[in-house]
Amino acid sequence: MSEGPMSLFPRHPETERPGVVQKVGKSTLGAYQQTFGLLETLLGALSSQFEPGLAARSVASRLAIRQMFFTGFEALPLVSVIAIFVGATIVIQMQTVTQLPGDMIGRVIVAVVLRELAPLTTAIIVAGRSGTAIATELGNMKANSEILALSSLGIDHMRFVVWPRMVGAIVGVMVLTVYFGIIAIMSGYMTGVVMGASSFAALQGGFAEALVRGDIILFFLKCGGLGLLVGWFSCHYGLEVRVSPTEVPQKASKAVIMTLLGCVVYNALVTAGFYMIVGPPVR
Amino acid sequence: MAERNSIPPDSHRGISLRGASFRYPRAEVLANASLDVPRGSAYVISGANGAGKSTLLYILAGLVKLEHGTITIGGYRPDPLRPSDLARRGVRRGFVFQEGGLLSNMNALANVALALRYHADLLGLTIADVEKRAKSALDRVRITQNEMYELPAHLSFGVRKRVALARAMAIEPKFFFFDDPDVGLDARTGSLVHEILSGYRDDPEVTMLVATNRESLVERLGVQSFVLLNGRIIERHNIPVSSGPPPPRSVA
Repeated sequence: MSEGPMSLFPRHPETERPGVVQKVGKSTLGAYQQTFGLLETLLGALSSQFEPGLAARSVASRLAIRQMFFTGFEALPLVSVIAIFVGATIVIQMQTVTQLPGDMIGRVIVAVVLRELAPLTTAIIVAGRSGTAIATELGNMKANSEILALSSLGIDHMRFVVWPRMVGAIVGVMVLTVYFGIIAIMSGYMTGVVMGASSFAALQGGFAEALVRGDIILFFLKCGGLGLLVGWFSCHYGLEVRVSPTEVPQKASKAVIMTLLGCVVYNALVTAGFYMIVGPPVR
Repeated sequence: MAERNSIPPDSHRGISLRGASFRYPRAEVLANASLDVPRGSAYVISGANGAGKSTLLYILAGLVKLEHGTITIGGYRPDPLRPSDLARRGVRRGFVFQEGGLLSNMNALANVALALRYHADLLGLTIADVEKRAKSALDRVRITQNEMYELPAHLSFGVRKRVALARAMAIEPKFFFFDDPDVGLDARTGSLVHEILSGYRDDPEVTMLVATNRESLVERLGVQSFVLLNGRIIERHNIPVSSGPPPPRSVA
């Protein structure tokens, strides 16, 4: 057998280079395992809540509160800055391009900022900030045998590690979305005033007309779902690390990409479903 | 006698491994292997580097799922996906990992107290009891007050290892697993660890398994010794000389 110079990253001599059929088979199997693994993580975390143990529940709750603080409270400065500029930008665009009246601006802000940008942008911020942190932390825990050590102590990592982070992400996205909406509206209103376009009464009138009861359901569906996706995917891909620390950045990156994809698709599906039920936002 | 010791399997509720198989993609760790560890006994497991001693210990502790075969600890089958099941059934196990396995975001005291807090209702402990017991375990392995409040990353390897030992000791395990407990320790700390291990060896309530290749520890413990060789668990004095490392040596 002829042998060339050794590669910088030599493979095991028995490693076969897969053919096209093998690659397709491997990809299909990988997708199946990926889906199954994701469901297993979600169900594992949910079912862990039905396990007995008051002390364990208390420990997990404390961790969830800690995670909420990290995901929600500590992200406030970043969310504030982004919300201020998003709110201002939307109003500047509407004023310069469409010259809409104040009540119309109010309606568009409800449709664009409150229903779309606030939950999605918040989820993207949380995915980028807390999602990477969660995936990296869990990946390192796995590589350093910390997850195995928890098992040896009789501690279920789904309850102790995954569940608190999921709850933290859900509550964090919900709280931050409300905060984002308030800041963006205030910023939009002030921008409108500076541009001499809208009075507060006109803006308020637009909000009142555009907001419907279904918005409360939409809020919980969107924020709850997006928060769950952030926590769930970040935990799952973090725990996909096996033993090597070199896998950690790869999995963290994958966690963020998959979370963003999941969030965008989920957001679009929920929006489509919402308008199918309540009708067009701006008449 | 290969692959089993002389104790009848049903006369105890220790650890029982039956027809176990486990392999990594390019290495076989266990091939239809069996082992019975009677309750209250202490065994040493040795084997060449990469033979799978740590993996075998994980399997015997019920932390890793077998491909084939069964494992029972204290009469119960552990489920690696539901590790709290054993604790709820009153089976207390302690595991000292080769690298410590301490939670990196918790200081030494919190690491030791964690399992006590998590199982406080099962163990009948109050928060004050938890702190007292955790500090007592850290004292036993000579961890100073300052070291107790440091994160693992700020502690030396030897201190981390002692904290890991304290963490396992704190739950007062009846099944104790040690993976290379004295590797990387200085003579004084190593001697302390040997002393603690000897104490558990002499405790009739504790079933102890130690994975090590250190002759000094094997001699100090002076207990029945097994070797993991080519996927089989063989009593040390039954190893054929031609089998190569580790050197056959009767320590019983």
